[in-house]
Parts: sequence; C-alpha cells; structure tokens
Amino acid sequence: MNLKRSRSVGASPLNGVGKQDVESRRRKKMSEITQALSCRPVDVTALRRMAISEGGLMTDEIRRLVWPKLLNVSEENIPEELDPVDRENNKDFNQVLLDVQRSLRRFPPGMPDEQREGLQEEPTDIILRVLVKNPQLHYYQGYHDIVVTFLLVLGERLATALVEKLSTHHLRDFMDPTMDNTKHILNYLMPIIERVNPEVFDFMQQAEVGTIFALSWLITWFGHVLSDFRHVVRLYDFFLACHPLMPIYFAAVIVLHREEEVLDCECDMAMMHHLLSRIPEDLPYETLISRAGDLFVQFPPSELARERSQQTAVSTFKDFELASTQQRPDVVLRQRRKEQQQRTLEAQRGTVAVVQPTARRFMRLAVMGLTVALGAAALAVVNSALEWAPKLDLLFP
Amino acid sequence: MADIESSFEFSSSLTSSSLPPPRTRIFKIIVIGDSGVGKTCLTYRFCAGKFPDKTEATIGVDFREKVIEIDGEKIKVQLWDTAGQERFRKSMVQHYYRNVHAVVFVYDVTNAASFRSLPAWIEECRQHALGQEVPRILVGNKCDLRHAAQVSTDVAQQFADTHSMPLFETSAKNPYGNEDGTQNNSDHVEAIFMTVAHKLKSQKPLVLSQPPCGYGDTVTLRRQDQEDGGNWGCGCWRS
Repeated sequence: MNLKRSRSVGASPLNGVGKQDVESRRRKKMSEITQALSCRPVDVTALRRMAISEGGLMTDEIRRLVWPKLLNVSEENIPEELDPVDRENNKDFNQVLLDVQRSLRRFPPGMPDEQREGLQEEPTDIILRVLVKNPQLHYYQGYHDIVVTFLLVLGERLATALVEKLSTHHLRDFMDPTMDNTKHILNYLMPIIERVNPEVFDFMQQAEVGTIFALSWLITWFGHVLSDFRHVVRLYDFFLACHPLMPIYFAAVIVLHREEEVLDCECDMAMMHHLLSRIPEDLPYETLISRAGDLFVQFPPSELARERSQQTAVSTFKDFELASTQQRPDVVLRQRRKEQQQRTLEAQRGTVAVVQPTARRFMRLAVMGLTVALGAAALAVVNSALEWAPKLDLLFP
Repeated sequence: MADIESSFEFSSSLTSSSLPPPRTRIFKIIVIGDSGVGKTCLTYRFCAGKFPDKTEATIGVDFREKVIEIDGEKIKVQLWDTAGQERFRKSMVQHYYRNVHAVVFVYDVTNAASFRSLPAWIEECRQHALGQEVPRILVGNKCDLRHAAQVSTDVAQQFADTHSMPLFETSAKNPYGNEDGTQNNSDHVEAIFMTVAHKLKSQKPLVLSQPPCGYGDTVTLRRQDQEDGGNWGCGCWRS
C-alpha cells in the first residue's frame, strides 16, 4: 500500500533519473499540443491523447486552448456579450446562490476579497444562464462545483459556453427532472469492482454500503471531494477527453486501490460509507487514470450494459436495484456456481443480471500489462470517446 | 472539508477510555430538512464539540458519529446528515432510512419556507415507515438571528405539539463568528441529541438493529431529570 502511494502526481516512474527527463518530456508534450492545435482542422484525437496521458494538459493556459476543442466548442461562435441574467424570477436562484456561497474554499486562498466576491457572482450567473436557455435541464447540488472549476480555469465567457455544452452532453443524465438515471449510472460501479476484485465486491455487498458514497464523485467529477485544485483539473482533462461514463470507472479504480483499507474496515454500512466517501489526498492520480482507462477497455460500458436483458435502463432500474440489494454473500456465491442457470433465469424474469463470466476474474494481470503500454489503452479510450460524441450530437442536437 | 472529517476521529477517540461492553449499542438518527437550514452544522457541532469553520452543500449523505455514555452504558450515536435538495431526497436517500431509530427535523427560523416544508418531510418519513412511534424531534435553527426570524416560537411549538414532537430552538451559530471554536453549551445542541439518546435508551424494544446480547435487560434505567416523560412532546428549550 505504501509503495503504491509513495508516487506523487506526475512523478517520473524512473525514480531518480532526474528533473531533466521530466522537463524534456514536458517540453515535448507542449510542442505536440501546439502542433495539434495548429493543424487545420485541429487534431482533436491527438489532443484527447494528450489530455489522457501522463500529466494531462499540464497548465491552465493550455487548458484554455484545448478544453474548447475537446468539447467541440469554437470560440468564434461565442458571443462577446453574455446574456443578462434575471435572478429575481428564477426558480433555481435561491438554491444556486446558497450552494455557490458555500463553495468559497474552491477559490485560491490568496485571492483578495473583492475578487473573490466578484467571482462568487459569476458561477451563479453562468448556472442561471445555462438553465434559462435549456429549460429541459434541472439544477442539482454539485453542478455548482463543476461550474466553479470551469470558471477558475476559463473565465466567465468561455466557461459559460463549455458548461452549456457539457450540460447537454456529459452531465445530461444528472440534469433530468429526477435522479433515476444518475442512480442507474452509479449501478455500473459494483459490476466493475466485482470483475476486478470479487473479494472487495463481496465485502462491500455484505456491508450493504450502497453506492451513494460515490455520488458526489460522479456528479461533480470529483470537484466536490478533492481539495487540491490541481488534481481536480487533471481529472477534468481526463474526463473531457473520454466517454461520459469514465468517472464511474475512475470511482471503481479508487475503491480498488484502497482494497486493503476496505477489507480492514468493519463490515458495516456506516463505517464503510464513511471510509469510502473520504478520498485520501495522496492518491497516485496518474497510475489510477491509466488503470481506469484499462478497465474501460477491458469492460466497456456496452459489455456491462449487454448483461442487462433490456437496454431501457430506466424501466428496469428498480429490478436492478432489487437484484443488487438481494445479493448477500451467500447468494452471490451460489450465483457463481449456478452462473449459466441464473442467467437464463434472469433473462426470463426480465431483470438485470450482475453475474459475470468466471474467466474475467483471472484477467487482473493482463490489465496491468495494458497499463505499461498506456498508448494502446489511451487510443482505445480516445476512439470510444470519438464514437460516442457524434451520437450524442444526434440525440441532443 | 478537512475540518468536517476530523469530527469522526475526534469522537471515536472517546471509545478507548474504558473497557467497552461486549457490544456497543448503536442509535441511528437521521437528520433531515430543507437545504441550507444547518443540518451539517448541527451534526458536526454535536460530534466534534465545536462548530465547523465552513460547511458546503451536502451531496447525497454524510455520516458522523459520537460515543456517549448514559447511565454507565456507552452508546454510539450515528448521525446521518442528508442532502436537502428535493431531487436527492426523492431517489438517493431512501437507502439511509433503513433501521433508523430516530428522526431530527430541522428548519431555519429565518426561513419560513423551510418551516412550511416540514409536513412534506414528515410525510417522507411516514413513507419510510417512520411514524409517530419513532422518536422525532423538531429543531429550529439559527435562533441567534432573532431580528430576522420568520417563524415564531409559538407557531413552531403548536406545530410540534400537533405532531407530538419536542421542539428545540438553537443556533448553529455563524461559523465565522466563533473564533476560538470552543464548546459552548448554551446552544443546546448537546441537549438535543442527548434527549433523543435518552429517549431511545428508555425505549429499548425499538432498538433492534444491534442486539444488546442480554446485558440490556439487567440495566436499571435511570433517566436524568431534565427530560422525564412529561417533557416529551411539549418541551421547548430556547437559547
């Protein structure tokens, strides 16, 4: 555990080879990014790869240039003047103001009060502007954490455009009138954990910990729970370049990384919820990012979804929930033995099966192999994001 | 956030002071109410013994606990601090209503809307099979802001009586005004949760989730004078 943790963010895996190596790789990456940006059309695939690979986009200056490309937002089309905001007649105003006012700690500690107060108004305006323009979107607590992150990196004008795009794409499910779809997405978490580490899965099921400990991770892209802003934006690089379900894979990777702590924890809902909902500050982010990419390639969402007999997630969600809660350890063990049988049964019932092929349990080492050759995994992850993006444009024009 | 986390460590250190009973009983209390009424402040104040520097919106559910001692028995009080926004309550929080022993309803005395929401919260509990048989208390928070009060004590007391709950008014005080961060007993936060704990201890049959392994039957119940039965359902403690 200590070994795993001792590597700091962005540190060279070749421990001791020295700063020079890190610096030269950094410069190389900078020039690759500049090159990708200067291509016509811009080489978005290369930018995605840069955003995923070690160190991400490195500086906020680069992020200001690259994030819009990752979301296919062209700066020329953003109006110079932002729409005025009618705060008084907005149903969400009170809730938004309440949440934004309480998010003070997001702002850099050294910032003068006046600037801070000004910046506090801006997230509120951005949120209300996006909500008014897109009445199908509903505000949720945590959305403000995402908006604040974009604001601090991009400034109000650019942040407004990107947040709007994100809200109609990556965050769209969280902004439904209800959180049923969010809950459905959270339900991807345990099957991923089960595939990689059945022991941790069983223990968590036994504790009946649920998945709400990961709720804020998912809907704020970890912006709510991480206190170091550099880690937050590094993760945003990664998530902006990936499939919208990637935060769930990253959540699974965090739980799996804490395997020993989880197994040492009292097998009790409260204790485990408490343990898991706090994220240690010293996570090896780069390693975890590439591992999340690996898992995504190994167990893509389509595969997780295929196990469900119906693709209409929302309608079968209640059944899925029921099936999950009834998976006490003894049930789980029995299910493993009777896997085929159970599958048929599940299919007949029209419920969702969370059982998976036993062979998968022995693939852990293979996964680690992919981590070393990050390029391959990253490429697959990039491609899946590219495949996904145009589809959503059709769904939500 | 770091401050909030420490509440847990702080309280668990209390457990090591003497030999624990074979199994510590757990009282699970859920704290609900509208967004911004001060649920996080209250639960933090009770568990850590001081007010938090700042609190942020609670997303989903947070958990804090404290070990207390009543009549020589160590009891773990688990507080489940919930998100106030309606969309969370509708589909996210149900899991945490399971095996709840008591409910604390919180409203903000300076926010009439948060008081008007109480019937909906009570109904919410009823739907989770937490009716009048489960100890429930009503807390009007931010009573230090008298000048801005929108909910009078009389009206709140009437409401509490109708629903057979004791009413507390308290102040989870402006966190920025509390420089030294030391404990201040005049806020009654301690009393609020201790009242619930005493009530639960006296209602043993309701506490089912943690079998007391027999020792519970042999304990003679002696409740402290401050909340003999008569106060339940009509008491009001004001700061």
